[in-house]
Amino acid sequence: MAEDGEPVADGRVAGAGRPAAAVSPRMARRHAIQRAVSIVMGPVWVTVTVVGMYFGYRYRIADVARVRREYRRLRAESDAPLLVCANHLTLVDSFLIAWALGSAGYWLWHPDELPWNTPERTNFGRTWLHRALLFVAKCVPITRGGAREDVGDVLERVKYLLSRGETALIFPEAGRSRTGRVQEDSAAWGVGRIVGAVPGCRVLCVYMRGRAQATWSDFPAKGDTMDVSLACIEPKSDAKGLRRSRDLSQQIIRQLVRMEEAYFDAR
Amino acid sequence: MDQSEVMERVVKILTPWVKDEAALANVSMETNILEDLKVNSARLVDVVIAFEDDFDIEIADEDVDQVNTVGDAVNLISSKL
Repeated sequence: MAEDGEPVADGRVAGAGRPAAAVSPRMARRHAIQRAVSIVMGPVWVTVTVVGMYFGYRYRIADVARVRREYRRLRAESDAPLLVCANHLTLVDSFLIAWALGSAGYWLWHPDELPWNTPERTNFGRTWLHRALLFVAKCVPITRGGAREDVGDVLERVKYLLSRGETALIFPEAGRSRTGRVQEDSAAWGVGRIVGAVPGCRVLCVYMRGRAQATWSDFPAKGDTMDVSLACIEPKSDAKGLRRSRDLSQQIIRQLVRMEEAYFDAR
Repeated sequence: MDQSEVMERVVKILTPWVKDEAALANVSMETNILEDLKVNSARLVDVVIAFEDDFDIEIADEDVDQVNTVGDAVNLISSKL
């Protein structure tokens, strides 16, 4: 049996049909426990989240049936690993994006498709209660600009879960856009590192913006309606090493820039 | 190339990305690149690629996880020369 710290190939999600990336047994165990807790608690936290967004904050997704149809079509095209990358304007973008892509019932039926998130630890992980909620809600907190080893561990975890056929959501701008627009020069290289390390990884680019959202904020305005567009890309690069990771990240962020331009052109 | 030469070149390469120039004046091996020099974490990859070009070495993605301080960068580069 492998000891802690030794690479090990963990199991795979049923039907994923691909070997999982090698991670330490400790990380594999932690992931398995968090995944199980999240699935068991799903009927509570998924339902509470959706009810809160719908009735509490009165958020709406514009043409939600079309968005969900499009997501299911893109999902059905391939069983390759899927990383969701989105623009980032509010603290609750990840919840809104998940809700846009599927109903509460869909996520309870397809729990491994519900994206894992990598929220900023300083925004969400301050108290014991917050950390417990993050654990249940499929979050792997990250300290942006923190110790590189910790950031590296989170990237390894994301590569691992993608290779198991699960899904992750990452904001490639590495934070909410301070200009209110996708910032091409803020492309976090870690996203490209993940995509480059997971064979065949597709990237579902999601551009989402509330109609009342002029710039960045903690929450969208109450009663706001979110416009959502999707595009699936498979970034490729002939470069090597760090340049490859940077190139892949830039392809993703440029796609989001194009989607934003299309959004404003259509307004 | 000795460590002081590597250090000098590392600081020179870092300079365009440093937001806290006062910290640059007191830079040492223990200076944290992101926290003390306020280099944008998203730009760290550009800094490391500049290291690769300047020293004509290759640095793997995973090696960047070991780079927190100026000293970490100097040691990593020295190990590849």
